[in-house]
Amino acid sequence: MRKIMVLAALVVIGIVLLYAVGKMPPMNSRNTPDKTHVVPRYLNEGESEGGAKNIITGVILNYRGYDTMGEVTVIFSALCATIALLDREKRKVSRSGVDASGVRASVIVRTVVRFLVPIVVFFAAYMILHGEATPGGGFQGGAIIGASVIIFTLVFGLPESTRRMPLKARVPFESIAMLGFLAMGFIGIAFGVNFLTYVLPGLHGSLVDTIRSQMLMVIEIGIGIGGGLVFTSIVLAMVREDEYELQPDIPQP
Amino acid sequence: MSVSAHHPVLLVAVPLFFAALCPIWGMWRREACFPWALLGVVTTGFFAWSLIGKVTSTRAVTYNAGGWRPPWGIQIRIDFLSLLLICMITGVGLMVLVYSWRYVGKELPPEKITYYYTLVLLILTAMLGFSITGDLFNFFVFMEIFSITSYALVAIVGGPRAVRAAFKYLLMGATSSITVVLAIALLYSATGSLNMLDISNRLKTTSYLPVAGVALVFFIAAFSVKAALFPVHVWLPDAHSIAPSPISALLSALVIKMGVLGIFRILFTVYGHTFSDLSSTWSHVAGVVSWAAALAIVLGSIMAIMQRDLKVMIAYSSVAQIGYILLGITMLSPLGMVGGLYNMLAHAMGKACLFLVAGSIIYKHGLRRIEDMRGLGRTMPVTAGAFALASLSIVGLPPSAGFVAKWYILWGCFQKGNFAFVVIVLLGSLLSAIYCFRVVYYMFFAGARERGATFDEAPLTMYFPAAVLSAGTLFFGVFAGLVIPFLSNACRAVLMR
Amino acid sequence: MNFSRIFHNLNYAVSALLFLMGLYTVTVKPNLIKKLIGLNIMETSVFLLIVSLGMIPDGQAPIVTNGVRPSMMVNPIPQALILTGIVVAVSTTAVALSLCIRIHEKYDTLDAFKIHGRGGL
Repeated sequence: MRKIMVLAALVVIGIVLLYAVGKMPPMNSRNTPDKTHVVPRYLNEGESEGGAKNIITGVILNYRGYDTMGEVTVIFSALCATIALLDREKRKVSRSGVDASGVRASVIVRTVVRFLVPIVVFFAAYMILHGEATPGGGFQGGAIIGASVIIFTLVFGLPESTRRMPLKARVPFESIAMLGFLAMGFIGIAFGVNFLTYVLPGLHGSLVDTIRSQMLMVIEIGIGIGGGLVFTSIVLAMVREDEYELQPDIPQP
Repeated sequence: MSVSAHHPVLLVAVPLFFAALCPIWGMWRREACFPWALLGVVTTGFFAWSLIGKVTSTRAVTYNAGGWRPPWGIQIRIDFLSLLLICMITGVGLMVLVYSWRYVGKELPPEKITYYYTLVLLILTAMLGFSITGDLFNFFVFMEIFSITSYALVAIVGGPRAVRAAFKYLLMGATSSITVVLAIALLYSATGSLNMLDISNRLKTTSYLPVAGVALVFFIAAFSVKAALFPVHVWLPDAHSIAPSPISALLSALVIKMGVLGIFRILFTVYGHTFSDLSSTWSHVAGVVSWAAALAIVLGSIMAIMQRDLKVMIAYSSVAQIGYILLGITMLSPLGMVGGLYNMLAHAMGKACLFLVAGSIIYKHGLRRIEDMRGLGRTMPVTAGAFALASLSIVGLPPSAGFVAKWYILWGCFQKGNFAFVVIVLLGSLLSAIYCFRVVYYMFFAGARERGATFDEAPLTMYFPAAVLSAGTLFFGVFAGLVIPFLSNACRAVLMR
Repeated sequence: MNFSRIFHNLNYAVSALLFLMGLYTVTVKPNLIKKLIGLNIMETSVFLLIVSLGMIPDGQAPIVTNGVRPSMMVNPIPQALILTGIVVAVSTTAVALSLCIRIHEKYDTLDAFKIHGRGGL
């Protein structure tokens, strides 16, 4: 009975949505409202006004920087929410590298992961720093860092992860994304222009562009480190190693 | 440019700064979090109140983030409704924070305290940002911040009922959030802009109006979930009753008003009332919301009467009061709209007070059932008195702010000739009287059994905020003239667009 | 219902269907993790819709390089929007999974009917 009502509601919503799709501007065409109103200025002036070759980075950090500040706050609040619900991870004096079956990961996996993680982190750093000129940026790099921490924790266990990224070192840097935005924003206010303006008055010529790029870089790095640490902390809080029964180390063939 | 010109953005930047540093203080010394949070809210309150003069003397205060003019950049636009909301948020937020100190110290495990205060600072930041922005996508981003923090704050207590209620709240909230994004996408494809006023202009000349109509329907459906309008209110009773009491106050008083603001902004700022070609869809949507609100008033009050747990009763009362607010807004008469928006103010103060009182009773005696409230009028006179005073506002008796609000709503109904709504508003007051005064009866007039007559009040930092909030409902009832004229002008302007 | 336009806007139509599938999963499936997967499907479908808005014929990435003229670039705004959207979706999923962990601790099950009683959700 309930399923029938739900299906009926879904059919109605589906018809409404498909009706809207039918009335929407044609896909893959140049003359739709969304491409002719605001976008030409972004595409034409994006590099000179925005300060980044990657126009999307220019839109995210410069034209719509206030939104991105909100976005790093969303990530930070997800971290706070997760910690409030799960509490921080407790350092366990357990065997490292056990999964739910109590068996340690095989030597192949351990070796490959130990080799790859530094390379992946290096790649993440490249992503973050080069976000202005290539596809990439702060969030992308932060997500890669988070993914590398996840695989490291899965293979080597919580104590090893926590040893490399201790809590006391992580907490101050989790807020760094928001603090980066706020710092750059307040610099603008100190110079007399609006919050998050990177073109500071009273500077000459090429100094304006340099300062702007440096400010963008600071924010980008802040997002990368902050985002990466947030994902790391969320994952570490979710690991529940105390629930697993430990088995003696089975000799690997 | 002096600092005062930057107050609009400081409303968001300052509490965000305090929220970002709160965990670091917590790592050093857990007890430092409360004073830090208090300092943050007081500073933000200063910025909010300093904007009163500017906003009331001009139509709206605008601020372009990043220096880019809209629609290329994000514009903050504080009109009178935004001003009302930011004053409510900082005022009620301050009271709830002061109250939290003792309550959370006792009722929450110590390791959660740091992140409790961080989450409260974040939720206040988000609501402030949500109230002042003029950009539709920015609207969504801040909405997500207060949504995510509220899911966690509901479950922070940790028991089985709490996590269950929070999960239901999360599912419904997240579904509605993604529906908002869908609607934004549809509207963007039709107009090409993300700035609310710019979209409103572009809708007049776009050739994709049906898409905008569908987007309108999705927007209202999604924001109705956030506002807990009947029939998508089902997440509210569980979530608001099981949350820690200061959080219940924050949620009922402020967070659901954000859903109401969402509906208001979509209907009136983005779409506009007299706008020709979409007017039939628009009127139908507004009509459906007004009838759902009317049902919310009656059914919410009936459900409240049926409850034996005090906090669940207060939660259902919120469902009913949101009905009043939305009925006033969507009735499309200037008087009704003034009443609906004034009820936002009255309900925020009154409902926060009721939840803080319920929390004080839980703190002192661990009691949640209404029949166990006997004799509290004598042992906790200030707390019980605050409850009685706030009840006047919830029911709508003079000289409370709630009376002023419901009076205007009634006149709006008469003006529109809709006598069914008149009956419903009056019926709602009658039903509210039943459930509110039942509690007052138990507190003051039922025999005090073993409790005796000794004065055993809650701590000062807990009864004082409740008293201030209830005094607020009285103050804004007697001195409604401070707010109503500006509200009237704003509503008339909105309905002329 | 303009069927030829719907078929032309194929990405949008598929996005709508995915949205419905996600909504079905959220409402009907009893397992909490499946509900979250349904939520993620809904979110992804909306991102598909948004990104497809930006397409132009023979479009290039909006990065200033040699040989790419601004008129050849796809719309950068949808991409900025979904960057934010993806972050928001991940955050919501993280909080939801934390709640699932706690629910499993308290109820020893992830079945909505067992947790909520007769109604489920």
